[in-house]
Amino acid sequence: MRLLITSGTSALAQAVMASLPARYMLRVTDRVDGPGLWAADLGHGPETDALVAGMDAIVVVGEPLPGEGTGAYVDAMTRGVYNLLWAAHQARVQRVIYLSTLRLMDAHGVEYNVTERFRPRPTTDRDLMGKHLGEYVCREFAREHKLTVVALRVGEVVDPEGAGVPPADSTWIAPQDVAAAVDAALSADVPRWSVVHVQGAQTGARYPIGDAQKVLGFVPVIDFQPR
Amino acid sequence: MKVLILGGAGMLGPYVIPALEHDYDLRVTDIKRPPLEFRGEFRHVDVANADEVMAAAEGMDAIINLSVLRQDRKLAFDVNALGCYHMMEAAVKHGIRRIINTGPHFTIAGPTYERIDYEIGPDIPPQSGTNLYALSKSVGHEITRVYAEQHDLYVQMYLYYNFLDPANPNREREYAPFAISWRDGGTVYRQGLSIPLEALPSRFETFFIFSDMPHGRFVNTKAKRILGWQAQEDVSIVWRRADSPPPAPAQESVPAVADAPVAAGSSAPEALASTDPAADGDDAKLA
Repeated sequence: MRLLITSGTSALAQAVMASLPARYMLRVTDRVDGPGLWAADLGHGPETDALVAGMDAIVVVGEPLPGEGTGAYVDAMTRGVYNLLWAAHQARVQRVIYLSTLRLMDAHGVEYNVTERFRPRPTTDRDLMGKHLGEYVCREFAREHKLTVVALRVGEVVDPEGAGVPPADSTWIAPQDVAAAVDAALSADVPRWSVVHVQGAQTGARYPIGDAQKVLGFVPVIDFQPR
Repeated sequence: MKVLILGGAGMLGPYVIPALEHDYDLRVTDIKRPPLEFRGEFRHVDVANADEVMAAAEGMDAIINLSVLRQDRKLAFDVNALGCYHMMEAAVKHGIRRIINTGPHFTIAGPTYERIDYEIGPDIPPQSGTNLYALSKSVGHEITRVYAEQHDLYVQMYLYYNFLDPANPNREREYAPFAISWRDGGTVYRQGLSIPLEALPSRFETFFIFSDMPHGRFVNTKAKRILGWQAQEDVSIVWRRADSPPPAPAQESVPAVADAPVAAGSSAPEALASTDPAADGDDAKLA
């Protein structure tokens, strides 16, 4: 499967790519240049069309650039995602995996088991606003076009080798588990629009991941519980 | 009350400004001057420029955002989405609690509603679809909603569809069942500026702004009920059979929730006929 991955210079994209199975043929892009990258600003034009040409699926990692302002990031996550998904739709790309964040759900009371049935409650913080609006744009493409989109709301991604215990945040998830969730989302039989929460295997985790198991067949391996 | 108007030189601005200029201190902004003389200040502001919007909002009590562009994707998102972000950042920074944003009907009621449903009201989950104009405006709408949820300010969202001149409608086309005269389209801002914020049901309220329609496809009752506003000009003529009797006289305004400074529709901008953006055509969508 030919896979386009965005935000290729980000730590999240690099960690996911390092753990994806070898069967994927990767094309890596970012809004800045770098070694081995297909640099693209995701504008409206032939460059974005060329970027998605021949791809079977896209993983929209959608991370901010270092030091990026809120306006620029919001622009990337709205106009940029819009351009990317239009190009994907026209190129008959079958599936998009959008990496969102569980932090969109943090405003819900801790007394609840906050599932995918709860609405996102972003703040006006750069990262949450950007991730939320990217979801907003993706949802309309799934609604209107034959483009399957899986929005994975991912917990805090932490390298288990360097993590202290106990976890500072019960949503911690290891990069290899994020990659496993992406892998599962690329092949699962899902409706055109799905939102799935994913985090680590630790007990007492903030968000249930029953849907990830049921819909994607995803079961995290790494837990951050103290031994 | 000092009111900042963003995008005041667009298609709706020439109808909003006359409705407000005698009762409010206006700071009208755009990338060009509005095509009319008015009482108030004009300032060159591009809503895509955060610094210009921030500076223009200083000292203001309310913001009305009429800005819109949809020619290409860059401009559309710069103005319709980022423009809203810049406006809301400025509102927070300057403590402006009354914001009126605008857009087309499919900011929320896109084809998945319009093609299928009847009695579509403004309190529905947004389904803009992927039309550039609709989705870029819908993103702006969502940005203002999140700000209203997170900050102590109130956003009223006024949505329009077709505008027309009831004295000179285009008989060759079928208008959307969500239409209003240009003049009436400008009068609702009196209510929006005068209603006590606490009288709004929540800090984010969306209103469909159109005249009474015979279709029942969309409903405009919320604007009547909450804002106490009603269109004064009957545009139903465009759906009437040629042999039907003329429409009944326009109804009086329904009582407003709040005391409006001037009764709706009392400022008739007949002098604006030459600036009617529909004059070289016959109708237009909000643009």
